[in-house]
Amino acid sequence: MPEVEISPRAYVKMQLHAAKFPWRAVNGLLLAQRSGPDPSQPCLLLTDAMPLFHTSLALTPMLEVALNQVDLWSAANNQVIAGYYQANDQLTDRSPNLVATKIGDRVAEHMRGAVLIMLDNGKLSGEYSGPAVVVYERQDNRWTPKDKNLVMWRDWAGTRQALREMMAARAYRLLVDFDDHLDDIRRDWANGAVNQRLGELTLTPDVDTDS
Amino acid sequence: MEGTVDFTAWNKSVFAAAAKVFLCFLFSEMRDKLRKWRDENNRNSEQIVDVGEELINDYASKLGDDIWIIYEQVMIAALDLSRDNLAMQCLHELRKQFPGSHRVKRLTGMRFESLERYDDANKMYDGILQEDPTNTAARKRKIAILKALGKTTEAIRELNEYLEQFVGDQEAWHELAELYINEHDYAKAAFCLEELMMTNPHNHLYCQHYAEVKYTQGGLENLEISRKYFSQALKLNNRNMRALFGLYMSASHTASNPKANAKIKKDNMRYATWAALQINKAYQLAGRGKKESKNSLKVVEDMLEALQITQS
Repeated sequence: MPEVEISPRAYVKMQLHAAKFPWRAVNGLLLAQRSGPDPSQPCLLLTDAMPLFHTSLALTPMLEVALNQVDLWSAANNQVIAGYYQANDQLTDRSPNLVATKIGDRVAEHMRGAVLIMLDNGKLSGEYSGPAVVVYERQDNRWTPKDKNLVMWRDWAGTRQALREMMAARAYRLLVDFDDHLDDIRRDWANGAVNQRLGELTLTPDVDTDS
Repeated sequence: MEGTVDFTAWNKSVFAAAAKVFLCFLFSEMRDKLRKWRDENNRNSEQIVDVGEELINDYASKLGDDIWIIYEQVMIAALDLSRDNLAMQCLHELRKQFPGSHRVKRLTGMRFESLERYDDANKMYDGILQEDPTNTAARKRKIAILKALGKTTEAIRELNEYLEQFVGDQEAWHELAELYINEHDYAKAAFCLEELMMTNPHNHLYCQHYAEVKYTQGGLENLEISRKYFSQALKLNNRNMRALFGLYMSASHTASNPKANAKIKKDNMRYATWAALQINKAYQLAGRGKKESKNSLKVVEDMLEALQITQS
């Protein structure tokens, strides 16, 4: 099974989304580079996270709008929707529910090797040294946890440090999800401002994108 | 010396007076902010603690009777941020001032909840209900505990029982709608929202939410209902973007549904076209002079084009 690599930007934005709405379930999409460097050994590099909703995750109309918009935006920025993430509202619940599997299935229809990432709510505080995510992949039409050895980090130390600094600076207040965008369409759901701040903090350069 | 003005002292007193005015202004601004947040009932706990903590520590004497409701507000926000010491500080003051009060007992229960001491919390609430069976706050906290423990079916059952008694409690109807949506029981969620729309016919958010539920249920009939209610939401508030997008999506899907007759197709094409125009206008207005918004506008234009293509 192919490896998946998580960039600092993707990881930090997922965490910031959960931190902005700690009392709610949140979800979003994960993007990857359009074409991997070596087609014979595909490694899925998750370059970015697009925060979607913090209200009524189980309703479809705004989800359809968001999927369409993110799809078009990704294509224009040389990326593709490669995954879905969700943080449940209950502290101890990190298992993918029907919403997660349905949206995950939808993403997987268009992207072989798509991942489903559930945030591990119990590990979201800065005290844990390990990543606060569980990565799932599709095997035999079911979402099963991916072998941890196949989940790589572009720069785990840098990621963790950047997250710490962003949290200390309360940068989650700057993060815009699609719900926020629908409340005020002047807000940028691609989060250019947060991306820029993050780019200044992370040691290794992020993958080249237009945003 | 007599007859001369002591400039140093004069400067000092002017400065002190100016500082006092400034601090007064600062203080009243902070107090007004807290009041505004109380009225809006936002869960902006971080901001409440930032402002409220300073207010109660530095300006307690100036707050008068406001201080008690501020203690309550700050305490609840502190629980949200796991600031137990601050919460206890507030709770302590409230207990001193209002011994035996049910309202304060409820706060004690909430503190137990924040520490995940749910049995102690339930004991607290049961105690309140024994003395006052009509205490709605305690009943709602018990339901909140069921939610926190993941016991959604029981929470739904209790909430239904509660609503049989307190049929006018809008917050409860809304909570029940949310619980049903999370359980994918869209028909029952729709019923709750219908109750809310009946008692609040001018609330655009209930119309829009109802439309979203009907859309999710799917099928031609539900799509048409959702299109009607998205329209209604827009009539009530023409800046509701969810309603505008929803109108576009529901009308487009209806127009391209093979079961739709020619008239329905034609009407819905008209609605969809109108909605697309409005969406475009809104994004153009929003995007004036901003680079990121130009991306948004292009994306929206492409999206509307793509969706129109699938209709033919």
